[in-house]
Amino acid sequence: MAKHETPLLDQLESGPWPSFVSDIKRQAETKPECWDILGVLELSYEERITHWKHGGIVGVFGYGGGVVGRYVDLPKRFPGVEHFHTMRVNQPSSKYYTTKFLRQLSDLWEKHGSGMTNMHGSTGDIILLGCRTEELEPMFWDMTHEMNQDLGGSGSNLRTPANCLGQSRCEWSCYDTEEVCYNLTMHYQDELHRPAFPYKFKFKFSGCPNDCVSAIARSDVAVIGTWRDDIQIDQAAVKEYIAGNYPGNGGAHSGRDWGKFDIQKEVIDLCPTECMWMEDGELKIDNSECTRCMHCINVMPRALRPGKDKGATICVGAKAPILDGAQFATMIVPFMKIEKENDYEELIDFIEKIWDWWMVEGKNRERCGECMQRFGLPEFLRIMGLEPLPQHIKEPRSNPYVFWKEEEVPGGWERDVVEFRKKHAA
Amino acid sequence: MALEKDALKNAIEEKATKSPKPQLYIKDFYVCDPDSKPRVIKNVANEMVREGRLMFWSSGSTTMYGIPSRIQDEDAKAEGGED
Ligand code: HEM
Ligand code: HEM
Ligand code: SF4
Ligand code: SF4
Repeated sequence: MAKHETPLLDQLESGPWPSFVSDIKRQAETKPECWDILGVLELSYEERITHWKHGGIVGVFGYGGGVVGRYVDLPKRFPGVEHFHTMRVNQPSSKYYTTKFLRQLSDLWEKHGSGMTNMHGSTGDIILLGCRTEELEPMFWDMTHEMNQDLGGSGSNLRTPANCLGQSRCEWSCYDTEEVCYNLTMHYQDELHRPAFPYKFKFKFSGCPNDCVSAIARSDVAVIGTWRDDIQIDQAAVKEYIAGNYPGNGGAHSGRDWGKFDIQKEVIDLCPTECMWMEDGELKIDNSECTRCMHCINVMPRALRPGKDKGATICVGAKAPILDGAQFATMIVPFMKIEKENDYEELIDFIEKIWDWWMVEGKNRERCGECMQRFGLPEFLRIMGLEPLPQHIKEPRSNPYVFWKEEEVPGGWERDVVEFRKKHAA
Repeated sequence: MALEKDALKNAIEEKATKSPKPQLYIKDFYVCDPDSKPRVIKNVANEMVREGRLMFWSSGSTTMYGIPSRIQDEDAKAEGGED
């Protein structure tokens, strides 16, 4: 039986879509503390103010992350959620689970917590919502000892790295995203579990520019697969698409008749750099103009493939809008080989160069991308030891102010005026 | 010259004891030894957590450090407010 009257929340059950209110009510039948979640939320709807408090000394011993402390400020009225901490569980690469794993984890969370989960949090972790401080250590013990499963990152730590499912499923993946994600997660265990930085730091790995983990929008270092030679074209398959024998977009839009496939309208005219054309019945691409947007490949996967010389583009500095506005990552390295043979040495050097700078110069709670903006792109490139490249410039004059230093100019700032006036009379 | 580890630990402890607020950012400890690299200071501070000389305090999105007794006192006071 409902413990609190919740007319405002009940209204959210009336739509045709699934309702979190119904879900929590169902959960409350076996976990009565969940009624208090509904109670406190109803009260917040009425009073238009939150009753949740953030922060405190919750955590498991030796870890400075993985648990997000939450308390209600009316514990007498809502004792079930007096403590309602979140635990973050480090998801496996690409989020492949066995059903046994999911059952085990759910059983543990029924035992130690509210049983409520969030699959997955926006960072990627499995989010276990709601447990009391004294249950944190037992839950952590059971999870690590029975399931060999660790917590993820929170706070000013390296956040749990995430990847698209890459070569495990996807033919477009230009490097092994799972392998890198796993290796870097293991390499940076200390940074993942203990605070190391002015603020959070994330890296994410997508196998191609489709960027299925939204690395470019969400990570301080986005590693996005790409190629530097030519798109592979199978002209016979192009003809099959034109003849309507192969469905466009791998059949993804098959629910409705969109009419005959039109390569001009659906592919060539939509190429953002206008670098495609038909010539004597063959599809041509000026690869030097192609920005690797993936559109043509997405539409005609049987005819077009990424090139063979594969690697990744590294972008730096995305963030969500907490302080300034939201910001996409900025392209810093157009192409880097991502290889296990040298233990990802080049990528690791790059990441640590950023850390060495940001840990000193970053203000408290300043994301790497905000720090970059404060210093400016030319200065950031100098710090990273990189030469400015044409690819750093989106269009003429969007970032033209690269200043010369005196030592870079032959003769420096001093010049012989007499000598100059011989050629340029005043 | 960078401080020896024990001297650095003592400097960190002193800083955390005397700071106006019980919670400090890792950056606040950099001044304890300008000659040590930030990652060295971070590693020493985390070692002090394992020894129980410091404690983590988390806001959820940032993690801070403090002397356990000072932090516990403040948390106890914060628990008081209700209804
Ligand atoms: C009015 C109430 C709330 C507001 C305005 C709020 C706001 C936010 C914001 C801005 C973030 C992003 C923070 C960051 O990434 O740095 C966040 C994250 C989070 N909040 Fe809240 N929050 C509220 C209530 C709660 C409650 C009641 C809980 C749990 C009981 C909670 C649990 C979390 C968790 C676990 C995250 C991290 C999610 C993730 O993994 O991406 N929040 N919240
Ligand atoms: C020391 C010599 C010069 C300095 C410091 C200088 C400085 C500038 C600056 C600051 C701008 C604005 C740039 C922008 O809006 O992005 C500009 C624009 C321009 N300058 Fe110069 N300039 C110099 C010499 C010249 C010369 C010798 C010419 C022609 C022969 C010239 C032709 C132009 C033109 C046509 C523009 C407008 C470009 C556009 O926005 O499309 N400038 N100049
Ligand atoms: S980002 Fe690219 S490689 Fe990764 S799953 Fe998506 S389409 Fe495939
Ligand atoms: S990948 Fe994008 S930019 Fe390149 S040829 Fe295809 S549509 Fe054009």
